[in-house]
Amino acid sequence: MVLRVHAAYGEVKQLLQAARPDVICVVAGDHVEGFFLTAVPALAVYVGSSVSGKFDRYRYTFDVHEPLARAVLEQGIERGFDLAYSQDLALDYAFFVPLHFTMPEPRVPIVPLYVNVYLPPQPTPARCYAWGQALRAILDARPERVALMASGGLSHFPGTDQYGSPDYDWDRQTLDRLVAGRGAETAALTGEELDKAGNVEFRTWITLLGALGPARGRVICYEPSWHHGNATVTWPVA
Amino acid sequence: MSLHYAFPPASGYLLNRCLYQLKSDDTFRERYLRDPEGTLREAGLDPERIVALRALDRDRLLALGAHAYLVFMASLRLKMASAPQTFERF
Repeated sequence: MVLRVHAAYGEVKQLLQAARPDVICVVAGDHVEGFFLTAVPALAVYVGSSVSGKFDRYRYTFDVHEPLARAVLEQGIERGFDLAYSQDLALDYAFFVPLHFTMPEPRVPIVPLYVNVYLPPQPTPARCYAWGQALRAILDARPERVALMASGGLSHFPGTDQYGSPDYDWDRQTLDRLVAGRGAETAALTGEELDKAGNVEFRTWITLLGALGPARGRVICYEPSWHHGNATVTWPVA
Repeated sequence: MSLHYAFPPASGYLLNRCLYQLKSDDTFRERYLRDPEGTLREAGLDPERIVALRALDRDRLLALGAHAYLVFMASLRLKMASAPQTFERF
């Protein structure tokens, strides 16, 4: 299974290399790593020039596309999204893991976009979707060629009695919606539904779906492990 | 209303801070492993919370306001300190 997931990541890396992005914007959740209870932003942008983090024995640093990060922050605020920002935090592994496997060569800078997934009250799915729509409008008006990536999920219940029982059916039904270009329906989900399905992190996908609109996804793989549903999906966007 | 990941009440703040540091702060974790009681006392925890945390008694910790994900990861990190291969099963 791990090898199949690695192969899916390999395919994404090839797609990214072929797409030649100037920058990768990554929407991910924080596992109480970059943000602790000193401040818990619902939505945030990292606007430093580089960002580092650690995940067990892994240590990582990424260049950040500062002009784009700042544009997303400023225009997001202008559009009514009260974004928080940081120039000093430890980058969560939710950003690192997909980038570790898919970063094109030569490497390109990133823009880390945070969605609060673990510390209630989290932003509603409708808000995440609307932020994704605004993000798309901001990115479309920029000169950079941007790849947009979301990281998180699918069903898993870390730290709960349900750790060994992810809701694979929920994952599969949701992936069917995405393949059919019905991502907009996810904006109508409730936080409670996400929590119940072990999909609090799906908020990062919903944000991405807001940016994608009716684009149809292609599921490269869906691999349920004993404690986690793992999917890799791409959306070709002109 | 959150089913699995509850709002962290202020009464659980110090506990959550310790769990967060056990998860993410190598220096704090090493200090804890050398002197659990003293480290937690210094961090401001009362005896009840110290007992619950040292036992990694999840249900008790949750009842005291700990966040489920922090309990999970702090416990995992402490296990990894004695058995590093635990990471591969996570």
